[in-house]
Amino acid sequence: MTDAETLRQDADAAEKADYATAVINILEDLAVERIKVDKANIDLRTVNEAMRSFIAIAAHDLRSPLASMVGYSSLLTENWTTLSEEKRLKFVTTIDRQSQKLAKLVDDLLTLSSIDGGVLNAQPEQIGVTQAISHCLAASGRDMTTVSVSCSPDLVVRVDPLHLGRIIDNYVQNAFKYGEPPVRIEAAQLGSMVEIQVIDHGPGVPPEFESQLFGKFARADVPSARDQKGTGLGLSIVRGLAEANGGQARHRANVPQGSCFAVTLPTGGGPQR
Amino acid sequence: MTSVMIVEDDLDLQSLIEAIFSMDSRFLVAGLAESAEHALEIARTTTPQIIVLDHGLAGALTGIDAAPRLKEIVPHAGIILFTAHAELRTKVEEQPAVDAFLLKTESSRLLGLAQRLAGLPA
Repeated sequence: MTDAETLRQDADAAEKADYATAVINILEDLAVERIKVDKANIDLRTVNEAMRSFIAIAAHDLRSPLASMVGYSSLLTENWTTLSEEKRLKFVTTIDRQSQKLAKLVDDLLTLSSIDGGVLNAQPEQIGVTQAISHCLAASGRDMTTVSVSCSPDLVVRVDPLHLGRIIDNYVQNAFKYGEPPVRIEAAQLGSMVEIQVIDHGPGVPPEFESQLFGKFARADVPSARDQKGTGLGLSIVRGLAEANGGQARHRANVPQGSCFAVTLPTGGGPQR
Repeated sequence: MTSVMIVEDDLDLQSLIEAIFSMDSRFLVAGLAESAEHALEIARTTTPQIIVLDHGLAGALTGIDAAPRLKEIVPHAGIILFTAHAELRTKVEEQPAVDAFLLKTESSRLLGLAQRLAGLPA
């Protein structure tokens, strides 16, 4: 073999080796991409399953108040002349109560949808925390003596006032629904944030349920939750509202008994509402 | 008089069912229960001829699971599964203890269904 032929053979071998390396690299890249696609498929299936479950529960929860409204209105329509005034009033009152329940559920679902879609519009303002808590308790119609409040009067947060009201109201309602009195609201400055805590002395959250607490339709299978009617959307909304305002919602056990639901929100300076 | 037992944990719906049966004097609501466990207890004493049974109840036992146990206690009772879960319709077809299926949004059909199961003219 001549030198020229040897050189050409070496060049061919090098070219083949390069080609083989390139093919191996492509195959490795394909294998990596395949793993990514498989993972994306699993994630999509999980999201799809969660969405299916969400729709099934939402449909059921929407249908229950609707069933009452349809049932009572049919009864009224078909038996108006034979029903006593007292019964008519009772039925209309039930329709009113159930329509408010339905309206709240639809509102909650729309809020959740905005949170999930990343289109929740927070309009932050400077708000005094003491005033926000007092306003929220007064609006709830709750006996003010059943809740104690510990909050420095100069604490200010910069959040959407409607969102703050909804967060506090949700925590306080939960404290009475699933916890036990005494219920205490405490607020304090934590660096650049303000932490508001709602503390109850009920049975607390089962440890195995804690990771799902702020999820959609989260309802623990414990007597205090089983006895209560609720959609299980409240804490999921609280978390979404807190995050949309640059804060965080969390839970910790209240020692020795009960729960402490907390929200941290950005502190505000300057003039307050 | 045809006796009725209502097993429903939503008190507004429980009252609605009671009101529906009050429109026909041949029916008498003899028992109210919010859980299947309570229904099994009172079925022995009230011996209902019609049972309106919700599926998701206050206790651990569901309506579909309770139906065969209720049928053991009162074999001649007509059981109507009255639920908001439309998807249970096919499951009910496989459960012989349930005599009829009705969605909660179709309550205007409840009285007619109960009359048919009780053998009463409309």
